[in-house]
Amino acid sequence: MINRLWHITAVIAALVGFSTLAQANTMEAPSGAPILTITGDIGTTNMDDSLVLDREMLAAIDATTLQTSTIWTEGVQQFEGVSLHALVAFLNVESGTIRATAINDYTVEIPVTDAVEGGPIIAYLMDGQTMSIRDKGPLWVIYPYDSSSDYRSEVTYARSIWQLDRLEFVQ
Amino acid sequence: MNQKGLPLPAPSKFRTRIGRAFIVVAGLFALGAIAYLAVSVARDINQLGSAHSDNVQWTLSQTNVEFLEYKLRVEHPEPDITELRQKFDVFYSRMNTVRRASVFEGLRNTPEASARLVTIFTLLDASVPIIDSSDDELQRRLPALVALSDQLRPEVRALANSGLKVFALAADAQRSRVANTMTKLAAATTALVAVLAWAILQLNLLNRRIYRRERERNQTAKRMETVMGTSLDGVIVSDAEGRITQFNPAAEQIFGHRAGDVLGKDIGAVIVPDHMRDAHDAGMERIRRHGEKRVVGKGRVKLEAKRKDGTIFPVELAIQSATTHQGEIFIAFLRDITAQVAAEAELVSARDRALANEKLKTDFLSTMSHEIRTPLNGLLGNMSLLRDTALNPEQAKYLGHMETSGRLLMSHISDVLDITRYDAGKLNTRSEPVNISALVQDIVDNQTGAAFQHETSLEWRWRGPRYDWILSDHDRLQHVMMNIIGNAVKFTRRGHVAVRLEALEAAADPRLRIEIEDDGPGISDDMRIRIFDDFVTGNTSYDRDVGGTGLGLSIAKRFITALGGQIGVESDLGKGCTFWIELPLIEATPAPEEATAQTQPDMQRALNILLVEDNEINRIVAREMLQQEGHSVTEAYDGKQGADLAKLYRFDLILMDISMPVMDGRAATRRIRNEGGASASAPIIAVTANAMADEQAEFLKDGMDGILTKPVSREALKALLHSKADTDEDDLAYINAQHSQEARDTLGQDAFAKLTARFVSEVELLIDWLNDDKPKDLLEIASKAHAVAGSAGIFGAVQLRETLKQLENAAKTGDKSEIADLSKRVNIVWLKTKPLMQK
Repeated sequence: MINRLWHITAVIAALVGFSTLAQANTMEAPSGAPILTITGDIGTTNMDDSLVLDREMLAAIDATTLQTSTIWTEGVQQFEGVSLHALVAFLNVESGTIRATAINDYTVEIPVTDAVEGGPIIAYLMDGQTMSIRDKGPLWVIYPYDSSSDYRSEVTYARSIWQLDRLEFVQ
Repeated sequence: MNQKGLPLPAPSKFRTRIGRAFIVVAGLFALGAIAYLAVSVARDINQLGSAHSDNVQWTLSQTNVEFLEYKLRVEHPEPDITELRQKFDVFYSRMNTVRRASVFEGLRNTPEASARLVTIFTLLDASVPIIDSSDDELQRRLPALVALSDQLRPEVRALANSGLKVFALAADAQRSRVANTMTKLAAATTALVAVLAWAILQLNLLNRRIYRRERERNQTAKRMETVMGTSLDGVIVSDAEGRITQFNPAAEQIFGHRAGDVLGKDIGAVIVPDHMRDAHDAGMERIRRHGEKRVVGKGRVKLEAKRKDGTIFPVELAIQSATTHQGEIFIAFLRDITAQVAAEAELVSARDRALANEKLKTDFLSTMSHEIRTPLNGLLGNMSLLRDTALNPEQAKYLGHMETSGRLLMSHISDVLDITRYDAGKLNTRSEPVNISALVQDIVDNQTGAAFQHETSLEWRWRGPRYDWILSDHDRLQHVMMNIIGNAVKFTRRGHVAVRLEALEAAADPRLRIEIEDDGPGISDDMRIRIFDDFVTGNTSYDRDVGGTGLGLSIAKRFITALGGQIGVESDLGKGCTFWIELPLIEATPAPEEATAQTQPDMQRALNILLVEDNEINRIVAREMLQQEGHSVTEAYDGKQGADLAKLYRFDLILMDISMPVMDGRAATRRIRNEGGASASAPIIAVTANAMADEQAEFLKDGMDGILTKPVSREALKALLHSKADTDEDDLAYINAQHSQEARDTLGQDAFAKLTARFVSEVELLIDWLNDDKPKDLLEIASKAHAVAGSAGIFGAVQLRETLKQLENAAKTGDKSEIADLSKRVNIVWLKTKPLMQK
């Protein structure tokens, strides 16, 4: 229900706040090493049909801080990253599924409805440090597990993909 | 309708209470169970919902996959360095997850896995400097990396295997825990269902009970309604404030109000008459304040009530109160007793009329008897005088017949008079010492002649111990015995009459039984039953002489009943009969010998007699008799003349008729005694036909000295005259000569004369003081009487002393009429005592 409300809010925000962005269909190509490639049904691209982002570009979209413990780490960590909510808004996506794939080609599907305010982020910093591949980096989808038992489910844990490097939006 | 409600029997109430308690407890228990289960289930759901583990098995198998991908790159003849590094990193990251993630804590806690992890990371950490070195360096040191990866291979595989084993065990544990919880849940649910089922059962029972009670209540209410509706008495119910709550049809009929009009109204305003409203309101107030009930619960009460039209009528009512859940209520049952009261009044007036008629009849009989007796007395008296004249034998015989008839007539009249007196309740009996043996002896003696004529033997005896003196009424008893013994003698020819007396002392109330047995003709059963009824006579054809008024035995029965006794008869027809009498047996001390008992003819002195009598014939008869005895007679025609003469002249004896014109005998006597005339102390004898016991006592109180019953017989007159002539004996009663002589001897003649004079003046002062009209202090009377009584003792004036002592006692007890009587008596006694003292 709350998700749904957020969703509606997001839709309204998308329609009103980001209508100009939606129309700007192209972006500059990344200057640094690419960190995330976004493909699929998106309104913004910079390389053919995809949007390739380096670390700076990703950080420019959003920087949400999230404190939570995870079942893969010890103690509470502080994660910083692009909230999925901000990302879908940035990409002007309203519905569908995000197909997230890791470096080792491990793929999970995250419904766009998960992209709510206060929801998951695509973390690029853990405790203020960049994450190496050995340390589940460079990008890790983190849900606020501590904030709600809803996020402490196997489905959520499965969606918490690390060593993320590709996103594909499908309807 | 039934506002009172039905009181539930105690056990049922108790059961209900326990049932309710059980349901409450069961309900609480169920709630507790639900709460507990809710918490428990919520926890389990929480545990199940928030999985602490990722898909760990997958992760472990992934270690193998990712290791193999790395190994593939390492062993490649021309490895892609970038790819190699990436695969190493991915594998390293995976192993790092196993090493750090909380979900693998269980795995890490097993010593085998822990040791393998250490080995794996030792190998990995050895590989890291090679991986992180430059591309050329890496290329060069590739064989070392391969060697390290060969060592890693069995370790990674073993770790995955042991991990799978651990997590399989954990999964088992988890499953059994869930199964356990589910079992508990099932048990709790079963228990809850059981409790709920039981509660439902209880509720059902309760419901049924309530339904039954409700039905009973309805039935009772209906029954009550029917009872009230059909009650012949008015029923009105009110609450504690006196407001009418029910008014049944009978009440509607009685009061004329419709129930609908008066419900809720104040009962006082509706049915209580205006003049009783204040009392009613006060009563209600009393009940409200103190609970004090004067009419309520006190049974039937007769009061007045008010109808709708304002008429007042008598009601009989009973009010009861009851306590209901609405407070106290009053239930009044009322009955209109107008008709009953009228009927009672009618009955009372009918009874009064009947009594008045009865009295009229009795008075008539009494008067008639009296009026017949007076001329009859004249006849008999004249016959008596006639007998004293010279008669030839023929005339004497006729005179005898006339006298017999006259006496029979007189006795019949006396019988009728006795019956009228008894029936009028005026028959008084005395309680005096009677010598029963002597009484029976006299009668037997009297009847012996008659028995002899019938050739019948007559005897009497005591059966058991002999009694002489008992308390009874001599005259009545004599009358009855004479009648029954006389009858027995009269009816028995050539037979035997036995009179037996027996004291029945065994019983609680000792009785004297007298049996008169004869072997005469006997009495038929039919007759035996009626024999004591009025006017029942035997077979008159048997012998004309035996006839009578048929009142003898009925009078006997009345007398015996009046004496507290019983009379009866047993008989065999043709063999004789036995009359029996039973009387209370109360022994008495013998009566003092009467001086008059011995007749001493011709030993008397001539007396100067005043004869007061209004009836001329009676006067002449009496005068003749007295003169023949040698006395001088002065005549007076009424009480006033008599009193006047007595004042002027001193008579030795005054014969006083009672009922006379102008002044009756009693008034005349009082005047003679009080005036202190010449004959104030003379003996006065009442001559009367109405000699009833209580009347005789009155005569004596008036100051008379004796009573002579009419008709005056020569014998009775002689006996009286003899006693009056024998003055010495009479004086004894007033002066004890011995005492007086002793005083005289002690004091000497002169001193005694002086003291006597002083005593006389002392007594006369007292008498004057007593008889003046001034109010007196009772204690003063007592003390003065006491002082004079003491002096009287010295002079031997015993009668005076006795009378003064009685006066003293009367003054002490404050009996005013007694004081007045005794004051007069003192005067009379003194008038007799004084002349004797001065002798």
